[in-house]
Amino acid sequence: MSTIKAGNIKKGMYILYKEQPHYVLKTQFVSPGKGSAFTRVKMRDMRSGANVEFNFKSHDSVEELDVETKEMQFLYHDGNEIVFMDPRNYEQLSVPRHILDEQALMLTSEIKVYLTIYDERVIGVILPPKVRMTVTEAHEAVSGDRQTAGKKPVTMESGLIVQAPLFIKTGDVLLIDTETAAYVSRVND
Amino acid sequence: MQQKNWQHLRQNQKLRQSLLMREKVVDAIRAFFKQKNYLEVETPLLVKRPGAEPYLNLFETTLELPDESRQTGYLLTSPEYAMKKLLAAGLGSIFQICKSFRNKESLGGTHNPEFTILEFYQVEANYEQLMGVFEQLILAIANATGVQNGQLVFQGKTYDLAAPYPRFSVVELFKKYLNLSADELLDLEALRDKATELGYDLRGLEGLSTDFAWEELYNQLFLNEIEVRLATFDRPIIVYDYPAPQAALARKKKTDSRFAERFEVYLAGMELGNAFGELIDASEQRSRLEADLDLRRQLGKKDQEIDYDFINALESGLPECSGMAVGVDRLIMLFADATEINQVLFFPASELFIDEKPGAKVK
Repeated sequence: MSTIKAGNIKKGMYILYKEQPHYVLKTQFVSPGKGSAFTRVKMRDMRSGANVEFNFKSHDSVEELDVETKEMQFLYHDGNEIVFMDPRNYEQLSVPRHILDEQALMLTSEIKVYLTIYDERVIGVILPPKVRMTVTEAHEAVSGDRQTAGKKPVTMESGLIVQAPLFIKTGDVLLIDTETAAYVSRVND
Repeated sequence: MQQKNWQHLRQNQKLRQSLLMREKVVDAIRAFFKQKNYLEVETPLLVKRPGAEPYLNLFETTLELPDESRQTGYLLTSPEYAMKKLLAAGLGSIFQICKSFRNKESLGGTHNPEFTILEFYQVEANYEQLMGVFEQLILAIANATGVQNGQLVFQGKTYDLAAPYPRFSVVELFKKYLNLSADELLDLEALRDKATELGYDLRGLEGLSTDFAWEELYNQLFLNEIEVRLATFDRPIIVYDYPAPQAALARKKKTDSRFAERFEVYLAGMELGNAFGELIDASEQRSRLEADLDLRRQLGKKDQEIDYDFINALESGLPECSGMAVGVDRLIMLFADATEINQVLFFPASELFIDEKPGAKVK
C-alpha cells in the first residue's frame, strides 16, 4: 500500500475507501463556489459490486492498493461464479460474477484475462480491449425505423446482443469492444 | 493518434452541432439583455489587481514597457471589480460576455482553464428579482435554440425549464438531507459529529484553523450529501442564502447576519451560475477582502494587494444592485446535450497542452 493525495487518484487505480477495496471508474475535478478543490471519484466497491461516488478533499490522503495481476483463462460459468484456470499449472479459481458485472458477457471460450488480486482475493478482472466472438443468431435484415437504420440486433455466443450492420450473418466472427460492448468490425479470416 | 476537434468538424455532424451551439447561445444571451436595455461593456482581461479569492489560482505574466521596466500582470478570474466600478460610475444595468482564466483546474469535464463567463448586474434589483431574470434568460435561450415548450432533453432525461424554479435555502437543505439546524450547520463540532456518523475520514482536518476546517467540512457535506440529491430533480433548482463566510462580496441578510444574499442555480448536477445581492458598504467590503487575503496567506499562496480603486468605487457610491456570473460553456453543454466541455470548445486546452506530442511535426 502507498499513500497518495486524493487529487492524484486516477481512473484504473484500486484504492481503500471506508476500509474496502474500490476500483476507480472515473475522476472529476470539482470546485465549490467558494472553498478548496475536491476530487469527485466514481468507484466500484469490489466486495459488493456496488458503484459509489464520493467527493474527496484534494489534499486528503488516500491509500492506493498494490494489487497483484495474474493471467488466467476463462473456463465456464457456474451459477453466480465464473471459473478461471491458470494455464501454467491448471490451478482453478472461482470469481463472483458481480465483479465482472455486465462484462461477464464478453467472456468467450479460452479467452485470456488478467485477474487482479488483493489480500488473496480476486477483486477485478481486466479484459483485452477487444474480443472475437461468433454470431449465434442473426435475423434477415428488415427495414426499420430511422433510429435503427442500417443496424440490427444480433446475438453472440456468450448471449451478448449487439447492434451490427445489416450484412452480418449467423456464424460470422465479430470484433467487439469490451468496454462499450459495441460492434467494431467483422473479422474476415 | 487522437484526432482533434477541428479535424473532426467536417465529418462529425454531432460535434459540429455542439460546437456551433455556442453562437446560438451567445446570440440569444446578447439579444435578451439588449432587449432589456442593459448596456454591454468590455473590461480588461489583463489586470494588475486580479482579486483576492483565496482558493483561485492565477495565471501570472509580465508586462514589459519600452523603457525595459517590468510589472507583474494577471489574467482575470472574473470581471467583477471592473464592472462594479462602472456601476459606481452610474452606467445603470450592464452585462459582459468575456473570457476568464483559472489555473490549476482540470482540462475537461466541466472545466477549462480559460472559459466564457456571462456577468450581469441589474441596478435597483434585489437577488430575488435576479432569480427571475435568470429564469427568463434560460427560457429565451431555449426558444432560440429550438427547445420545444421549455422541455429540455439532456442525456435522455427531460427537464422542465418553466419559471419559477423550486427554491431551497441552504438551511432548508441541511435540515432536509442531514437533519442539521441553522445553528448546527454553522458549528464545526456538529458537522464533525455528522461526518463521523457518515463514516468520513477526518484526519485531513487536523491542524487546520476552526474557520478553515468548518469550510472544508461544510463543502464536503454539501457536495456529498446535498448536491447529489439536487441532481435527481427534473427541473433547475435554486439554492439561496449561504453562510456569510461563503460569500465575500455579497451583502448579509438583514434578518439573519450569519447568512448572506447569494444564490446558485443547479441543473442536471451542474452548477450554472452564482449570484449576489451585492455588498455596497465600502468599509465592510474592505475588512472582508482583508480576511480573504489572510486566508490566502494561510494557504501559502502568493500575496495580493487589495484593489483600492475598487474600494474607492464603493465609497463613491455603488447603487443598490444584484449581480450574477454564469458559466456560458456549461449552458452550451446543456443546450447541445454534451456531457463534456471539450465537446463545445473548438480548441479545448487539453488538445493544446496534453495531447500535443513533444516534437511532433505536421506533415
